[in-house]
Amino acid sequence: MARYVPAGLVALLLLGPFLALFVRWLTGPDNLSLMAFINRSTLLLVGKSLLLSGTVALLASFLGTVCGFLFYRLKLTGKGFYKLALLLPLLVPPYIYAVAWRDGFQWLSGNSAVSSPEAGMIIVHTLVYFPLAMLITGTALSQIHSGLEEAGLMRVSFAGMLAKIVLPLIRPALTISFLLILIISLSDFSVPAFFGVNTFTTEIFTQFSAFYNHQLAIGQSFLLVLLCLTLLLSENRYLSDAPFFSVHVKGSKTKHYPVNKGRTFLHILLWIFLSIVLVLPVVMLFHQALSGREIFFSRAWDLLGPTIFQSAKLAFSGALLISFTGLWVGYMKERYRFPHLNTMFLLTFIIPSTVLGVAIIKFYNHPGANFIYTSITILLIAYVARFGFIAARIIGNGIKQLPGSLEEAARVIGIPPVKRFFSISIPLLLPSLFTAFVLSFVLCLGELGTTIMIYPPGTELMPVKIFTIGANAPLALTSSMTLISFGVTLFIILIFFLAAKIIFNRFRYD
Amino acid sequence: MTKISLENITHHYGDKKVLDKFSCSFEEAKISCLIGPSGCGKTTILRLIAGLELPTKGIIKIDKMIATENEELLLPPHKRNTGFVFQELALWPHFTVYRNIAFGLQDREGEKSSHRVNQMLDLFGMSDKAKSYPHQLSGGQKQMVAIARSLVHRPEIFLMDEPMANIDVKVKENILEHIKYLHKKYRFTMLYVTHDHREALQMGDKILVMNKGAIEASGTKEELKNTDNPFVRSFFIL
Amino acid sequence: MVILTGCRNSPDKVVVYCTVDQVFSEPVLRDFEEKTGISVRAVFDTEETKSTGVMNRLIAEKENLQCDLFWSGDPLRNVVLQSRGITASYRSGQTALIPAYFKEKENHWIGFSARARVLIYNKTMIPPGALPHSILDFTLPRYKGQFAIANPLFGTTTFHVAALFSVLGYETAEQWMEELKNNQVIVAASNGDVKKSVMNGEVAFGLTDTDDAFEAKKESNDVGTLFLDQQQGGIGTLIMPNALSLIKDSPNSENGKKLMDYLLSRETEAKLAASCAQMPLIKGTEVPATVPSLDHIIPMKIDYRKTAVQLEKIQPWLKKWVEE
Repeated sequence: MARYVPAGLVALLLLGPFLALFVRWLTGPDNLSLMAFINRSTLLLVGKSLLLSGTVALLASFLGTVCGFLFYRLKLTGKGFYKLALLLPLLVPPYIYAVAWRDGFQWLSGNSAVSSPEAGMIIVHTLVYFPLAMLITGTALSQIHSGLEEAGLMRVSFAGMLAKIVLPLIRPALTISFLLILIISLSDFSVPAFFGVNTFTTEIFTQFSAFYNHQLAIGQSFLLVLLCLTLLLSENRYLSDAPFFSVHVKGSKTKHYPVNKGRTFLHILLWIFLSIVLVLPVVMLFHQALSGREIFFSRAWDLLGPTIFQSAKLAFSGALLISFTGLWVGYMKERYRFPHLNTMFLLTFIIPSTVLGVAIIKFYNHPGANFIYTSITILLIAYVARFGFIAARIIGNGIKQLPGSLEEAARVIGIPPVKRFFSISIPLLLPSLFTAFVLSFVLCLGELGTTIMIYPPGTELMPVKIFTIGANAPLALTSSMTLISFGVTLFIILIFFLAAKIIFNRFRYD
Repeated sequence: MTKISLENITHHYGDKKVLDKFSCSFEEAKISCLIGPSGCGKTTILRLIAGLELPTKGIIKIDKMIATENEELLLPPHKRNTGFVFQELALWPHFTVYRNIAFGLQDREGEKSSHRVNQMLDLFGMSDKAKSYPHQLSGGQKQMVAIARSLVHRPEIFLMDEPMANIDVKVKENILEHIKYLHKKYRFTMLYVTHDHREALQMGDKILVMNKGAIEASGTKEELKNTDNPFVRSFFIL
Repeated sequence: MVILTGCRNSPDKVVVYCTVDQVFSEPVLRDFEEKTGISVRAVFDTEETKSTGVMNRLIAEKENLQCDLFWSGDPLRNVVLQSRGITASYRSGQTALIPAYFKEKENHWIGFSARARVLIYNKTMIPPGALPHSILDFTLPRYKGQFAIANPLFGTTTFHVAALFSVLGYETAEQWMEELKNNQVIVAASNGDVKKSVMNGEVAFGLTDTDDAFEAKKESNDVGTLFLDQQQGGIGTLIMPNALSLIKDSPNSENGKKLMDYLLSRETEAKLAASCAQMPLIKGTEVPATVPSLDHIIPMKIDYRKTAVQLEKIQPWLKKWVEE
């Protein structure tokens, strides 16, 4: 019973809007034509979107796996730096990354455009999302016991061992990385719209924004949700067993391979890759910020300044709430065999952001719930719905790595549950909690799709302001604002890392 | 006198039945060894006695009091006065050796706890390792910390789940000697799960040979040596 | 931990949803705040980003409206909201100064400060005398692949295309759009993108709004602007006023009216003229020399309501045009 009450409450708060919207859609005035949108052209568009996002997921998972192997399994100088630098694209909203990257590409190639819009979308999505694959496969790679690889090396070559032993062992991680990136790419509107690529998500957006046809747009979104769910549930076994990612794998006896031959060549390759992924867009942003008629940094700071504290406070509260929820959901799934919450968060995770916005408005915007709807609580609810799944999986993975006997040993000697939780589980879960917190913070800080639809009037938030002001401002001002937001995000994360270092030191044991 | 009794215990893991109407009892202050092949239900019995798992059906009594009835936990694990050494030892990696042993004791014993912990450290010759973390210890040292942690509370029931796996013979002998000494001193009821017949013969006042969730045979080592049961004979290579 | 900020029920506040670029609209709203002491709680969006947030929010909030005043960059959105029963009629005291042409008959929306559609071009890419006179010229071979417009499904471009369909007639406009496509017109993501492409020399010509053109000229000396179809008998240039609608049953409607009165004033028009070259509708408003006057532009003669109806009709065709 104790688990059903809070679970029911969370379901009401988060799933309620979505279910209410579904019921409204079913009973809407156009209910005769509910499925009218499923026709040949829709199916072709779904196919095209799947093909594009599938290519993105394939390329990103490939690049992520290669990088995961290089940085988690090789004795490579500077691998920490490479890993951190290649994670940075995750901090920039994909739309801004797309603008900076395309401008950089054109600048380098003497104004020749990217050969096709589809290629542009695939490249940008791949570069933005491959760090996720790197984290997921990297974690899986660091969990392989050295004995398994050494036994393989006795029989086949190094390449053969990688293909026959390592890749099959990390198949769950490869699968989840592929599916996750496929879904994120499939549901992103901003980058395909920027390159002028027509996808199923831009189609939904067009129905919302050009035709104001909510009924059709919501119907199409349900099709998208259904599609994503089918993809995920078809690999349900892998989904629940995949390692997702964690910062630290304890007690693993992983083999680290030395790099002897070709070390310089490898570093050159990595620097070329780093230039494409990070240096090019950042340099381009600086170039644009400084090459206007005026230097706009001070004006950009004046505009963004008032939003920084509010946004950081909101993202901080959001990240805390998400981490707490993730811990609870992870615990319920891994320790109490109660996976329903996890499934619920999976559902709210794959709902397109605009639809989530509409669902939240329809559900919470009535006089009785004005105290929620007109305060920032509404944004916190949206953040938990959007990102709770990711936190639950990261922390759930951490919990899975903790042997149950560590808690049982305390239980047998009479340590009460609360003390058990805070003395045993929490310290051991700190790395996972920290990863979930920082990632949630970054995601909340940059969330735009739902935020722009529900932020309380008068609230000033960084991503909304960059998006609305940046739309028609001089390029130099937009670039300056982007760089400031990037810098602020990096600065806050740095503070988190320093704070974490102090906290982790209290529980240090290696 | 019977310390623990299991009556008609049936237990499932998911769809898999591991124990089917299993009954047995364990004498007070004796060492009982549960021996049998992997997956025969030995660990499950220890976990049921400790209260870490609840049977699908059946009654578990401790000191003639019903501790567990069907899926109802009447006596929680910490009130059963049990010490448990897990197969994987379950030493808390973020606590020092000292804190691993002292954890929970301070709340109960207050000032006296440090004396008790130091006594245990002395007994196992681990005083110089008090400030070390588990990962800094050898396999044998980890075993000793796990045992010390379980006994520092002076439990009446001591459960050991195959603790000597992957330990070299010399260290194993040393640890077994320590356990025997402590048993003599504190007279706890001990259940020792193993799949090594030599350990069982060396330790057990009584040996229970398990197979597929049931007891094939039980008795003293002499009684078992004379048994006709083909499974027992093949298991003990008689 | 959760600090509830956001809206409190204060009698001295007004909630405005605004699709006009924040960088220009926010200072005007702040001035109103200072002048009246009424706190302005704004939700900003921009037509560059298709106004998805504000428009969909208003439609979704219909059953419990939070907004008092809707400030749009063009009247078409107000027409959409009117047709969905979200706007209220309000005859502001300032209305008398605005020409009837820029007002909805029943005062569901009232226009002020206008922008126009304008051609921007990159001077370095165009030989002398090669400038077009009419928007219809862009189907000529010499402009092949050299002309950019924003996605005609959204924003002011959709308004412009609907107006052309109204003025030229369905068949002529459709044929022109097809020929434009055959002449390899470049469809950019937004007006801002059109501006950027011309400034960067990716294309020679682009169609955008006067405020974008004003910004482009501030940023680069290479950019020139031109009002098209200004010859005698020409179809004229599309004029797009800002449009204000009071929201029906809004929580702070009295303050909404006060803000509306303020925005419709000569003072506001002068400010918008200075900040983003918007052309005042009230005669005699002082403007900087760089701001064109409506007196000197031949406007496209359209009925805004009918254009909105026309838009609804042509949208499915436009969608196909964009996607094929």
